[in-house]
Amino acid sequence: MSDEPKAPGKPEENNAVTRRDFFNEIAGGALAIAGLGAAVVTVKYASPNVLFEPPTTFRAGSPDDYPVNSVTYLQDQQVYIVRTDKGMWALSAVCTHLGCITQWKPESDQIACPCHGSKFQKTGTVLAGPAPRPLPHFSLLLSEDGSLVVDKLEIVKETEILKV
Amino acid sequence: MATTAWTHQRLEQLRQTRVWRSIFRRGPARTNRTRSLAVFGNLGLHMMPVKVREKSLSVRATYYLGSISFFLFVVLAITGVLLMFYYHPAVPDAYRDMKDLIYVVSNGVFLRNLHRLAAQAMVVAVFWHMFHVFYRGGYKPPHEFNWVIGVGLLMVTLFLSYTGYLLPWDQLAFWAITVGTNIISYVPVMGRPIRFLLLGGHIIGQNALLRFYVLHCVILPLAAVGLIGMHFWRIQKDGGLTVRDDHE
Amino acid sequence: MSEKNSYEAGLSSDAVRQPRRVVFITRKVSAKVKEETGPQLMSFPHVILREAIAFQILTIVLVGLALFWDAPLEQLANPLLTPNPAKAPWYFLGLQELLHYFPPLVAGVLLPTLVVLALVVIPYFDVNIEGEPLWAHRGRRQLLIYGGIFAALFVLLALYDAWTVLVPTAVMGALGLVPYFHPASDSRFQKFLGSRPLPWWVMTWFIVVALTLTAVGTFFRGPGWSWVWPWR
Repeated sequence: MSDEPKAPGKPEENNAVTRRDFFNEIAGGALAIAGLGAAVVTVKYASPNVLFEPPTTFRAGSPDDYPVNSVTYLQDQQVYIVRTDKGMWALSAVCTHLGCITQWKPESDQIACPCHGSKFQKTGTVLAGPAPRPLPHFSLLLSEDGSLVVDKLEIVKETEILKV
Repeated sequence: MATTAWTHQRLEQLRQTRVWRSIFRRGPARTNRTRSLAVFGNLGLHMMPVKVREKSLSVRATYYLGSISFFLFVVLAITGVLLMFYYHPAVPDAYRDMKDLIYVVSNGVFLRNLHRLAAQAMVVAVFWHMFHVFYRGGYKPPHEFNWVIGVGLLMVTLFLSYTGYLLPWDQLAFWAITVGTNIISYVPVMGRPIRFLLLGGHIIGQNALLRFYVLHCVILPLAAVGLIGMHFWRIQKDGGLTVRDDHE
Repeated sequence: MSEKNSYEAGLSSDAVRQPRRVVFITRKVSAKVKEETGPQLMSFPHVILREAIAFQILTIVLVGLALFWDAPLEQLANPLLTPNPAKAPWYFLGLQELLHYFPPLVAGVLLPTLVVLALVVIPYFDVNIEGEPLWAHRGRRQLLIYGGIFAALFVLLALYDAWTVLVPTAVMGALGLVPYFHPASDSRFQKFLGSRPLPWWVMTWFIVVALTLTAVGTFFRGPGWSWVWPWR
């Protein structure tokens, strides 16, 4: 039984935080942290840590399998092995526009994409069409036993050519 | 004549039993009160208003496009669930199951045709409904938020159609989804991670098929049901359908 | 133990010092279109019956078509072989046609996002509640502004060789100018055009462009997304 009734309502004149505001803020903050945590945990759950996809590093035979001045399409890996008199390189066959598989056209010495008409040189440079970037070169190395090894996760510069 | 009277008497007796009255509370809908209760007291119907303006019932007012969109959704849900009995969302099985459904399962080809037809029809109906609501001004205050819910429903419909497109796992499906998910990777900053989450990997394979299946059968239908409920509720609360004056 | 407060309700005794509430002003309410009330009907049975009939008609039509129209099924998905042409589902073909002219970031991400945003924002604009026609005031300044926007759009589209968008835009622009130059016309069509408000013009332009893009993407595009005549 208090002596005098307190005035109802919040104290508006001073900036003091009331107990109610304090607890509201604590609770709100806790809920926000819990919500954010739940979202992060869910996204991490949905992001697979182990992928059962085809291996990205593979052997491509020996350099003698590829005649000079030829473009060979390896269908299983979607890679072109190009050999000129300057050397060899591995080119991605996936069009840089929207992911369709390109085709090598020996009669016009071009790589063409059927989806939107992009055209590339066998160095990967874009000749025509909506492709925004040239076809990437994959790392092509010669192992000790003399076989070619392509690593699709290693993108190398155009100028890096394997001399054979 | 005598037999129908006899049947009616038996039905009336049935209606007076305790069991019947414990299930159906309002009695036959012959008074305005019981007619109101038929809508107001019904779980499935209470989102609708109890009374409507007579003008909004004419076919020319709305062409019933909203209702048609909803009915198509119902048809898709029913045929979809039935199709789920035979479809395995796994990489060698999916295409085999499509062939199974078309050539082996009784009425499988009919159900599949119905599902695909209703899907195409629903996309058309939803677009047409949106344009028609626009042209009769059904988005003007106080119906603004309902329009926004409608745009959300349009997105859900398109995404439902898109996720369903992959499920047959044929060339048409695979390459359409390839192009679509590659467009997503062009979104700045978030594009590649979103594509990774959507496909469950870098390529369109097992994980992608399963995720699209879950999206198509669970997540998006739940979102659609929630939004449809809100959409109907807002029509009632905002004052009913908008009818243009020249369609009297 | 405290006693319960006793109180009584009634008008304040000092009516001069305590103002009586005469009207209750709420928050700002937006203007809304006045609905005609008109006669009303009970939903049950009038609406329920009509919806049931509509559902049955729809089902009959769908079943009839589904019995004869087979859904397509091509060969098994082959990640190593891209079909030529590789087309999206028909409702995205308009977008794919747009992708032919503009870079993927613009046509695939920016434009669709802008379209969705524009749709969402429609009811929150300074809504033309009265439905005033576009050229209600026939102002020169108005003509210059709209003409300027239209010309800028035209130049942008021409720069990107986006003919499929350019042609319907030009047609809609020409139609839009008709009521300005022929305000007192007798033809019913011209009177109809003259009564259309700005939102109508923008939406109709959007629909015409979208339909054109989708039609071209469906019928006029062949291998390599090259132009084909559908009757060949």
